[in-house]
Amino acid sequence: MKIVTANRLSDGRVIYAGVDNQPVERLDQASTLDDAAAEIVLAEVAARPDVFVNPYLVEVQDRAPSGRDRLKERIRAAGPTVGHSVAGGVG
Amino acid sequence: MYRYDEFDHALVRERVAEFSDQVARRASGALTEDEFKPLRLMNGVYLQLHAYMLRVAIPYGTFNSRQMRRLAHIARTYDKGYGHFTTRTNIQYNWPALTDLPAILSDLADVEMHAIQTSGNCIRNTTTDVFAGAAEDEIEDPRPWCEIIRQWSTIHPEFSFLPRKFKIAVIGAEKDRAAIRTHDVGLQIVRGEDGGTAFRVFVGGGQGRLPHIGQEIASAVPAADLLAYLTAILRAWNLLGRRDNIHKARIKILVASVGLEAFREEVDKHYATLRLEDLRIPEDEAERIKAYFAPPPFEDLPKASAPFERALLADPDFARFARNNVRRHRQPGYASVVVSLKPVGGVPGDITADQMDAVADLAERYGFDELRAAYEQNLVLPHVKLDDVPTVWRALLEAGLATANADLATDVIACPGLDYCSLANARSIPVAQALSKRLADMDYQERLGPVRINMSGCINACGHHHVGHIGVLGVDRKGEEYYQITVGGSPDEQAALGDIVGKSLPADEVAPAIQRTLDRYLQIRAEGERFIDTVRRVGPDPFRDAIYETLDAANA
Repeated sequence: MKIVTANRLSDGRVIYAGVDNQPVERLDQASTLDDAAAEIVLAEVAARPDVFVNPYLVEVQDRAPSGRDRLKERIRAAGPTVGHSVAGGVG
Repeated sequence: MYRYDEFDHALVRERVAEFSDQVARRASGALTEDEFKPLRLMNGVYLQLHAYMLRVAIPYGTFNSRQMRRLAHIARTYDKGYGHFTTRTNIQYNWPALTDLPAILSDLADVEMHAIQTSGNCIRNTTTDVFAGAAEDEIEDPRPWCEIIRQWSTIHPEFSFLPRKFKIAVIGAEKDRAAIRTHDVGLQIVRGEDGGTAFRVFVGGGQGRLPHIGQEIASAVPAADLLAYLTAILRAWNLLGRRDNIHKARIKILVASVGLEAFREEVDKHYATLRLEDLRIPEDEAERIKAYFAPPPFEDLPKASAPFERALLADPDFARFARNNVRRHRQPGYASVVVSLKPVGGVPGDITADQMDAVADLAERYGFDELRAAYEQNLVLPHVKLDDVPTVWRALLEAGLATANADLATDVIACPGLDYCSLANARSIPVAQALSKRLADMDYQERLGPVRINMSGCINACGHHHVGHIGVLGVDRKGEEYYQITVGGSPDEQAALGDIVGKSLPADEVAPAIQRTLDRYLQIRAEGERFIDTVRRVGPDPFRDAIYETLDAANA
């Protein structure tokens, strides 16, 4: 299965195509799609460059990234694994 | 330090206005990402994994307290309260919104800062010796020449569409503290035959996928002809360099493919006419720029300082800091202080807004208002009275900035890696953190002495792994992170690329393997030998054995 991801134009944050192709911030809110549906959604969000920057497909299994780039996609979904030097850790 | 004249002010303000308009058109959807990308890359803006990233220039790593406070303000107001100092002596913000960029750049322009020449295929921010103007062994301060190069190169019309980026580094001493031979052009100030300033020129250095150590193309270019000579090099490359393959576009590839002699002939052909044109640097203009970098008003002081000596005896922690982070200064009674941005288990190069303010206060009160960014991802207070070093140390301690590990094993250089960077194949920060925790014992680190460990999360080598005494390169093996280790690299006047010791290791094996390498060094070193000296004497084999010994045992 696949999900559609991109960066949000205004602030660059990671987004996914959710219900009705609305941008959502959490991977677990992303619509999980079969190959044919994924291509259609990808084309639809690509037509909305005011929100979705550089959209592409990510392979998922049980709603977790599973393709070759799975580590990168997990980091994109969860944020840096190392905190960021501000007390309190990952923000 | 250099202050903007009316041309600099106008140029930076015009650029802010131009880019603000471009951002507005991008935010409105009038510009596509493909159209916007080359524009943002002319202004230090990248799109990374989690957000936009803004890289702010610190020309030749020199700045002041007002600028540092403004960097802190930007971290607090537009980012998540911190910034990241890079191996190019710039600072990066990892979380700015596109729509905040105009305000950030305007705030920077208020304090004579910008993001020009920090990205894109232009002549990048020139770097230099972090101890410029303070080092004992310097024959001339390189910073005025960096500023002259800055003025010549900024939005240079001939060099605004280069085959790839182009990096220049300048030093003023025999000892190379700026890794000049890993740059496209490295310049070393020497005395010419007439006793005047001249430049020994290295060309074709670079790291990345196809690393090369720069080769000497000229032994003494007269100072007045520096810009003519640099123009000749750039023109030769701009005309002959490849544009069909991004991986083969850097000058190092051209020099390696045609050979140094043929490339020198090409350069000399251009230089013969260029040096007759109006590129000669007028002496009075050079002097005018040098005046900005005149030494601060040092006091006449004795070499030794009673408060410093007393603190050495009274506090072993201070004594350790003094041994490792305090450097000799050309002016008696003064020292340079290295502010380590490598706390145990921290993110190399990261600094919080409060820490930026603390360092700014110290520079203002105790350091003639001068600060330096080091390519090792540390900061330096270049001119501190020895009498004041104990006070400065206490303040650094309070700010969490007194880690006494400058140039030691935990002073790890690491790129942001896959935690932030869209080019990375593997993470580098967690590997650096694991190593830092494992080697945290300061007695052990001091026993080891100076050793440089570098980590890059991909072959682009922002963590300079090729020239680390020990280098670590993250690679992707079918979606898993692995790390290739090199030994024997060196960034200095004995520049060398490290040898790959063998197959790559999984992440949790890296720190133990490096510790075994260091332990092996302790066993086999000769009297007075640094780690790199031992590697040069015995070669990589003993270290290869140490790296793989437990793995071999496990597989036996």
